Amino acid sequence: MSEQGALATSAITADEQLETLPLILGKHDNTTLTQSLYAHVWAKPTRGWLMLMGLAGIGVGMMGLALTITVARGIGMWGNNIPVAWAFGIVNFVWWIGIGHAGTLISAILFLFQQKWRTAINRFSEAMTIFAVMCAGLFPLFHTGRPWFAYFMFPYPSDTMMWPQFKSPLVWDVFAVSTYFTVSLLFWFLGLIPDLAGLRDGSKSKVARVVYGLLAMGWRGSGRHWHNYKVAYLLLAGLSTPLVVSVHTIVSFDFAVALLPGWHTTIFPPYFVAGAVFSGFAMVVTWMVPARHFLGLKHVITERHLENMNKIILATGLLVTYGYMMEHFIAWYSGNDLEWFVFKNRATGPYAPVYMLMLFCNCVTPNIFWFKAARRSIPVMWIASILVNIGMWCERFVIIITSLHRDFLPSNWIVYKPTWVDWTLYIGTIGFFSFLFLLFMKFLPAVAVSEVKELNHELSHDLDGHAPALSHGGL
Amino acid sequence: MSAHPVAGQKFVLAEFATGEALVDACYKVREKGFKDVDTHSPYPLHHGDEALGLGRSKVPLIALCGGLTGMFGGYGMMVWMNAINWPLNVGGRPPHSAPAFIPITFELTVLLASLSIFFGLMALMKLPQPYHAVFDLEGFRSACNDGFWMSVISPTDETGALVTELKGLGGTQVSVVEEQTE
Repeated sequence: MSEQGALATSAITADEQLETLPLILGKHDNTTLTQSLYAHVWAKPTRGWLMLMGLAGIGVGMMGLALTITVARGIGMWGNNIPVAWAFGIVNFVWWIGIGHAGTLISAILFLFQQKWRTAINRFSEAMTIFAVMCAGLFPLFHTGRPWFAYFMFPYPSDTMMWPQFKSPLVWDVFAVSTYFTVSLLFWFLGLIPDLAGLRDGSKSKVARVVYGLLAMGWRGSGRHWHNYKVAYLLLAGLSTPLVVSVHTIVSFDFAVALLPGWHTTIFPPYFVAGAVFSGFAMVVTWMVPARHFLGLKHVITERHLENMNKIILATGLLVTYGYMMEHFIAWYSGNDLEWFVFKNRATGPYAPVYMLMLFCNCVTPNIFWFKAARRSIPVMWIASILVNIGMWCERFVIIITSLHRDFLPSNWIVYKPTWVDWTLYIGTIGFFSFLFLLFMKFLPAVAVSEVKELNHELSHDLDGHAPALSHGGL
Repeated sequence: MSAHPVAGQKFVLAEFATGEALVDACYKVREKGFKDVDTHSPYPLHHGDEALGLGRSKVPLIALCGGLTGMFGGYGMMVWMNAINWPLNVGGRPPHSAPAFIPITFELTVLLASLSIFFGLMALMKLPQPYHAVFDLEGFRSACNDGFWMSVISPTDETGALVTELKGLGGTQVSVVEEQTE
């Protein structure tokens, strides 16, 4: 055998070693993919789905109750008060918005990096982004106490002749979150259009044809449409990428721009973004594991997808751990007594258990994913992903509440306790999120069907003899 | 494709077995002098743009215009509102405080660029357009799922020739549909 031939053989084996698990299991064509990926939309609602909807519906009811009480009796029903002026409302806001970030990371950043494994999970994660941002937005909205005046935050010509104070990070937040929600929704809907047309044309019932037909807006897979569509998709991905980084950066400015010890640190923006991706990927795994089983999507969401997500959880978990180490080191190294007190108080004060839980969940748990067996084990990853979500909630609690509850004047010191309304609202938003997610998984394709078909086509035909690039968005 | 649906305009439709066969057939039909050719496929076709002879997309230009509007409009809005119309002194910071205006300038750049991409794209695609003559053919329902279709606007009196041509290129279910709108 010639030297060249030997080289070629070794190159193939190296590739095979890198890509041991397939992205699409089994041999499929467009017809079988259409059938299998839309099956969960066309199937009658199962008893399990209805039961989960009932459970989530209870959550929605709890949310409605908590919000009604907040509005009717006033914001005093929440546990926050001076000095802990920010508490559950902001903890939950940051937690939810962070969860949303994985969706944009998967749909936009992995797309720009041409990561083919994103294709089967992007629709799912984008939906998660939108629902998580909806939950996040509720908290600051009701934290204002008079949500019906929320439009005061936007610059509009009023007879008071007042304008928003654009130098405030809180106003930046309004623009960041509303832009994030709008752009995520447009990106998600744009991706859905070809699949809505597929549902319109494949559905049997008249109602489904009319409803999906209206949503698909007359899409007919035209080559002239795809021509502009691909470019628009790529550009929206390109715009979403800096946007997602900016959103959590601006959320971290809410804290970092304040002069409060424990908040006033320059590491906040990158460390918040890493934490957001960390918790977001954990939430994707939490939902993906049962969804791929019950929706019959195991052939397109394979173990390789799950393993890759676990690798990202590991990487971002280490970034978060580094963030904690740096934060503590700088608190000590700065020689600022007030700063150092806050960090000692976090570890030894009344909230030490929350702090320890945070360290365990965020710094210890992800390290299990150094082991391949753990990365591929469904029970391990599911439990780890829930622990990470708990850990990231604790992180926000620690950052916000421990920095506030012992302020500069010891006579002000209190131990903050959330009220039942706080808890009801928090659990209620989890129910609301689940409710929307279950509706999404019943009525819309959980996988980007046209993108998976394109991927399947490219994996089966090595176009032009070299590794093909996804043309969804390719120029 | 013509800008507006024209009553009585005839479309000749043909299905092809694969995307590659459709792209090849497109080149050939266009070589014969038929201009208004379009493909219909569940996902974008490899070399589909070249086969239809499409030039550069206008979407990036629209995005640039939207982004620049957001950038200058956003920054200008903040300067006018906080420094000119109602100079606001917060903690002694200058009313026109450039670094503090950057985050919102960035957000509005992205927002306006994204909105113009989405609505510009809708305008370029002329969607929403719930009715189109191609939907008259029941078999065309496969175009968004697993079929690869070609549609050609038939020039007057050449429908017969076009049908023969598409059949010769391997098209199946070759049919003629007519635009119904007034």
